[in-house]
Amino acid sequence: MKHHLIPRIVTKLIIPLILLFGLYIQFHGDFTAGGGFQAGVIFAAGFILYNIIFGIKVGQSILSINMTKNLMASGLLLYIFVGFLGILLGGNFLDYNPLSSNSVQGQLTGVFLIELGVGLTVSNVMILIFYSFNCTDQEQT
Amino acid sequence: MITRNLFSAIMSTIIFSLICALIFLILDGVDVSLTEAAVGAGISTILFLSTLKHTDIKIKNCNKKMFPLISLFLLLLLSLSYVVSDLPEYGKIKISSESYTTKYYIDNSKTEMGITNVVTSILAGYRGFDTLGEVVVIFIAGISVLGILRKKGNP
Repeated sequence: MKHHLIPRIVTKLIIPLILLFGLYIQFHGDFTAGGGFQAGVIFAAGFILYNIIFGIKVGQSILSINMTKNLMASGLLLYIFVGFLGILLGGNFLDYNPLSSNSVQGQLTGVFLIELGVGLTVSNVMILIFYSFNCTDQEQT
Repeated sequence: MITRNLFSAIMSTIIFSLICALIFLILDGVDVSLTEAAVGAGISTILFLSTLKHTDIKIKNCNKKMFPLISLFLLLLLSLSYVVSDLPEYGKIKISSESYTTKYYIDNSKTEMGITNVVTSILAGYRGFDTLGEVVVIFIAGISVLGILRKKGNP
C-alpha cells in the first residue's frame, strides 16, 4: 500500500497514539479500566496497522516471526515464574504477599508482573497469527 | 439479515460488536466494553479479512433451504426474549446475584491489594490461577495456528 499517500500519513500520525494508549492501559490497569489482555490486543492492533500500510517485510525487520515466538513463550513463562516465586519465598502458588515486606506492595508488584506477562503473550500471539495468515513462502523464514 | 457476500457479513459483525461495546459502556462494564471494542471490532476483523484474502468473497454451491435457518433464528429470539424479563432492572443498585464473595472483593480490594479497579484485582489477584489458564489457552491457540498454517520445509 506504498502508493496511498493519505493512509500512510494518517497512519504515521496515529500509530504512536495507539501504542501509547496500549501502554497506558497496560500500566494503568490497576486504577482505570483495562489490563494486560486489552493492552496486548491494542498494541498488536497498532503494530498490525503498521504492517498493513508499510508492508510485512518492513514490519518483520522490526519484529520477526522467531522474535514473536520467543516473546509469546516468555510472557507465559514470566507468569508461571511469578507463581513459583511465591512458593520459593514461602507462600502458596501465585501468592504475591511474600514478594515484598509490605503485603500491599507485594500484591501490587505481583499484579504488575502478571499483567506484563499476559500483555506480552496476547500481543505476540495476535501478531503471530496475523503473520502466519499473510506471509508468503519466502517471507516466512 | 441473510447475505451470501462474506465481506458484508464481516462488516455487519463489526457493527454488531461496536453496538455491543456501546451497550456494555452504558451498563458501566468498562473493561468488557474495552475488550469487545479491541477484540471483537479490531483484531478479529483483521483476521477475518486476512482469511478472506485466501478464499472467495461469494459463497458458491449453497443450496440450503432458508426455512430451517429462519425458524432456528425465531426460536432463539423467542427463548432469549423470554429470559429478558429475569434480568435486573437498569440502574438497580442491589442485584439479586450479589453473594458473599462479591461483597468481599468490593470491600477489600482497596485495603488488601491497593488496587482500586476491582476487575483487575479479581482477574490477576484473587483469581490468578484462572487467568493463568486463560493465558495458556491463548498460547495454545497461537501455536496451533502456527502449526496448521506452517509452510512446507519450514520448521
